Amino acid sequence: MADIVFATGLSHAPGLTGWLDQAPEHEQKSLTEGFNRLGELLRASKPDVIVGIANDHVLNMPLDDLHDFCVGTAESWSGPAEWFRDWVNVEPYTVRGASAIARKLFEGLGARGFDTTSKSDLLFDDNWSVPLKYLTPDYDIPLVPIHMNCVVPPVPSPQHCYAFGLALKEIVETELPDGLRVAVMGTGGLSHDPGGPRYFDVDEAFDRWFLALLEQGDPERVLRECTMEKMVAAGDGGTSELIAWIAAMGAVGTRPAKTICYEPSVALRCGMGCVYWEMEKETANV
Amino acid sequence: MPVADVKRDLPSNRMIFDARRDPAKYTNFAENFETLMEQYGLSEEERQAFWDIDIKRLGELGVHPYFLPQVSRLFHGGAYNHNNSPSAQAYGKSVVEGKGKTR
Repeated sequence: MADIVFATGLSHAPGLTGWLDQAPEHEQKSLTEGFNRLGELLRASKPDVIVGIANDHVLNMPLDDLHDFCVGTAESWSGPAEWFRDWVNVEPYTVRGASAIARKLFEGLGARGFDTTSKSDLLFDDNWSVPLKYLTPDYDIPLVPIHMNCVVPPVPSPQHCYAFGLALKEIVETELPDGLRVAVMGTGGLSHDPGGPRYFDVDEAFDRWFLALLEQGDPERVLRECTMEKMVAAGDGGTSELIAWIAAMGAVGTRPAKTICYEPSVALRCGMGCVYWEMEKETANV
Repeated sequence: MPVADVKRDLPSNRMIFDARRDPAKYTNFAENFETLMEQYGLSEEERQAFWDIDIKRLGELGVHPYFLPQVSRLFHGGAYNHNNSPSAQAYGKSVVEGKGKTR
């Protein structure tokens, strides 16, 4: 069986690479050190592949052909897509894909009833360009990108995303090659409102509450309390990206998340932070 | 203009979806959007909102909220998109301050 050796949830707002110098110095320091630390931890877990889960940002799945999830099956990926390049301020990069693994995931998720499509020509914006720049600056770990619908109703519920994570874990452990080391990366959030009236605002109270909730290691409570309505109230156009973290949490089990950093960054127009779950220790409840 | 009120089949949504993906469409968008509006069959109301760079109005007409700051970037550019950048300021004036037209 393959193993999930690392799991993380992290923000990917473009200000982190695009205009970080506009943030107060303490935010710059905290976020740079925090995201670099997350990269060190990820790389130390020696993953053979990263399975990423992130908002599609209505870039690859059109409004009239939506799916809950879209598995990227290419052997190689390039980013950022050209129109987003100066916005995210990330140099063009190429990262290997893992098409055989991606196809296993696509088939396994479909067989388990998840509304999943696949594409080999996904455009990348900030969703992968920002995390990869910090986590794998040499772009040397293959990526299976799974894009999801976080912002076009009907959006998959937190419960459904958690079940998606559980299914992902099952497929990794039963259908991927023995000894394969998998990192799971859910990215998006925290509170932000692109396209809404709270564009220049961050909901720090929500963000701190959400991070504290993940630190309890109780997925049932997260699903009970972190409703879609609550996320929408904290920023209609973006906060619901946290369902990508909830999907990652499904692959984690009852482990408590550890918060590395958090900043309610008005300058970056997003609550910015990252957490990880230690996967190589048994959980208390297993 | 909550996300829940988006009009999936609005011509503007199809146009913006494609515009960000295709250099032929996003290059010089501010000079060329008239041709695109014709090509995608935008209504008079939609066209007026684009002519006025009225981002708030586009939201009211059913453009997906996530597209709205991108409309501002199509007109004003996306580089170094901090809170005082031209595109963020235009978005703020139209939507956050509620002034609508920015042209």
